[in-house]
Amino acid sequence: MIIDTQLASFFTAAALIVLGIYGAVFMDNLIKKVIGLAFIGDGVNLFIITLGYKPGGIVYIYLPELAEMGKAFFTQNAAYPLPFALVLTSIVIGASTMAVMLGIIIVLYKKHGTISAAKVLDE
Amino acid sequence: MNPLIPIMVILPITCALLLNLLHNKDKTVKILALIAGVALPLIPLLANYGMHYFGGYAPLIDNPTLAQGLPSTITNSSLYLFHPAITYSFASAQQLFIFVLGMVAFLAIFTSLNETKRASGVYTFLMFMGTAAVTAIVLADDIFNLYVFFEIAALTQVGIIICSKVENNYETALKYMILGSIAAPMLLLGIALLLGVTGNVNITDIIFAINHGMVDPQSPVLLLACGLILFGWLYGSGLPPFHTIKSAVYSKALPHGAALLQAFSVFTFAALGVIIIRIFAYLPFTETVVIFFSLAAMILGITMALMQTDFKRIIGFLAVGELGYIGLGLGMGTALGITAGLFQAVNEAIITAFLFIGFGTVLYKTGISDTNKLGGMLVENPKVAILVLLAGLAMAGVPPFNAFQSKLQLIQASINAGLPELGIIMVLLSIVTFLTFVKAYYTIYLKPKPQDLQIINEKIPRATIITMMVFLVICLVLGLFPQLATDSLQQLAVGLV
Amino acid sequence: MIEYILMIIIVVGAIMAMVQRDLLKAAILTGVPGAAMAFLYQFLLAPDVALTQAIVGSAIIPVFFALAAYKTRRMEEE
Repeated sequence: MIIDTQLASFFTAAALIVLGIYGAVFMDNLIKKVIGLAFIGDGVNLFIITLGYKPGGIVYIYLPELAEMGKAFFTQNAAYPLPFALVLTSIVIGASTMAVMLGIIIVLYKKHGTISAAKVLDE
Repeated sequence: MNPLIPIMVILPITCALLLNLLHNKDKTVKILALIAGVALPLIPLLANYGMHYFGGYAPLIDNPTLAQGLPSTITNSSLYLFHPAITYSFASAQQLFIFVLGMVAFLAIFTSLNETKRASGVYTFLMFMGTAAVTAIVLADDIFNLYVFFEIAALTQVGIIICSKVENNYETALKYMILGSIAAPMLLLGIALLLGVTGNVNITDIIFAINHGMVDPQSPVLLLACGLILFGWLYGSGLPPFHTIKSAVYSKALPHGAALLQAFSVFTFAALGVIIIRIFAYLPFTETVVIFFSLAAMILGITMALMQTDFKRIIGFLAVGELGYIGLGLGMGTALGITAGLFQAVNEAIITAFLFIGFGTVLYKTGISDTNKLGGMLVENPKVAILVLLAGLAMAGVPPFNAFQSKLQLIQASINAGLPELGIIMVLLSIVTFLTFVKAYYTIYLKPKPQDLQIINEKIPRATIITMMVFLVICLVLGLFPQLATDSLQQLAVGLV
Repeated sequence: MIEYILMIIIVVGAIMAMVQRDLLKAAILTGVPGAAMAFLYQFLLAPDVALTQAIVGSAIIPVFFALAAYKTRRMEEE
């Protein structure tokens, strides 16, 4: 391959963020807007995961089989686990934010009878 | 190890969850909420200064027994100093901030329990949860922990708007959330870039890494991270381009909710602003950008307040405009300026809460917030009218009150820092603030009463009057003895320069 | 090799979800990048995050969107 996995993964994350911002800003349908926002969050999560990735590395779980290869092998080859711990929190926060937004959209639909942003959010 | 430091965050969260369980038991909820509310400002006064490491994982330097058995490659490197746990740092400045936040939260909860008919329900839950989140933002020395609580604070703010039955509150809530869902991932991206460059999320360690040449301080990735975190800061505190939505958020909440919401913004602004100055002060443009956005907030906020007719919108825009003073203090980059700016943050949280609750009485009596339809409220309740007048004078910076002291210090600091033009702008905008307030005050209280104005024949709850008296006393005490606040803030400010 | 295919699936799935006019189909299509991302996390050496993402990204979030589309209107209006 011409570009390595990490770089390609960064580009994927960037594509998701750009696509999400496009959707959130230019889509008129409120649910589409929220889908765009979900993609922004996904993109940022993928970016953080890619930060922790180590090309040719191993998973950061210290399995019994690894013990015979020595601690030094593990510390030199394991991926960096801190970003992964952050993403776990971030995924859950993103999902709960989506849920609240969709709830508000359902209430607004009952009031206005439409989910077009131009009609609902226009004061 | 000081157990009271995490309790400042844990107590309101536990209390919030517990209150949510006790549905329809109004009396129990009221008593519990009051007890927890009194505890909020008291705990920071009782706690000792220090650091708290979650899980007890202190840095190796503080943990000699563990450090003994380690090879010298670790003890001689910077790993020896790094913080492995989520760290909360509690010093005199945090003590003052959390005390004031707790005070505003307690008084807002106290007023809401007496003004709303049903005490149980999500409203009290959200107020406690938001207070816990902002307390954690003030305490956290860990930038990811800060992001988590930033999101929780944003969600509770939306919840507080939805709970009020003000017209169009859902629309404003959705708009705020959509903007928030763009801005908060940007903040997270900035944090991720910092993490990628320095390999750490602890703020002290990030600063250590940047200052000791472990990373290239001029690297473009750090510049991008600075920009993204600044963007999140603008959203969290409602500086331009978010000033319109933030003031709309204030105006859609109930008066006590709005009083608490603006305290959230003020302390998020101060805490994140301090972090930005701490990490990125070495970049030449950071302070200029902070001053630029603060000036924009002051000018846009205060001039837009002048044009509004809805008094909730007026205070909302004034609250955003007054934030600019804090930013100017932070952006000056001198110890005097930062002390004055943080002192202004404390004062603003108190005075704006005072104004929101004061004008809330008008809403309580009439249910109208449009100043064109109001008038003659002075005759209705002269005592409240005088209290509101004093609050307005305090906001404009009239001598015996606290904002006078902080604004005076800000102007002195601007002259000392070699930026006297900022001082002139501050004086001019103070006058405009006063004009805006007098205009609103005249149309609500002094103008003859319109024929069709219906005033509900219900007494204003005594709790509201007591709340306003307490705010007035705090304003006077801080105005007469400013060293009470500035002494505790000075330490932080000197550490930043 | 598989990771590159997964990345292409993520981007193409996201674009398809954005251009789809039927909201129920769009909601289900958001599950495609979500699930692909869960597999990608496995290749990026994060198996525990992959487990969470598999549940949240490919099941919970599409169901939320589908419920919202079901409770409001299915087709995007012109």
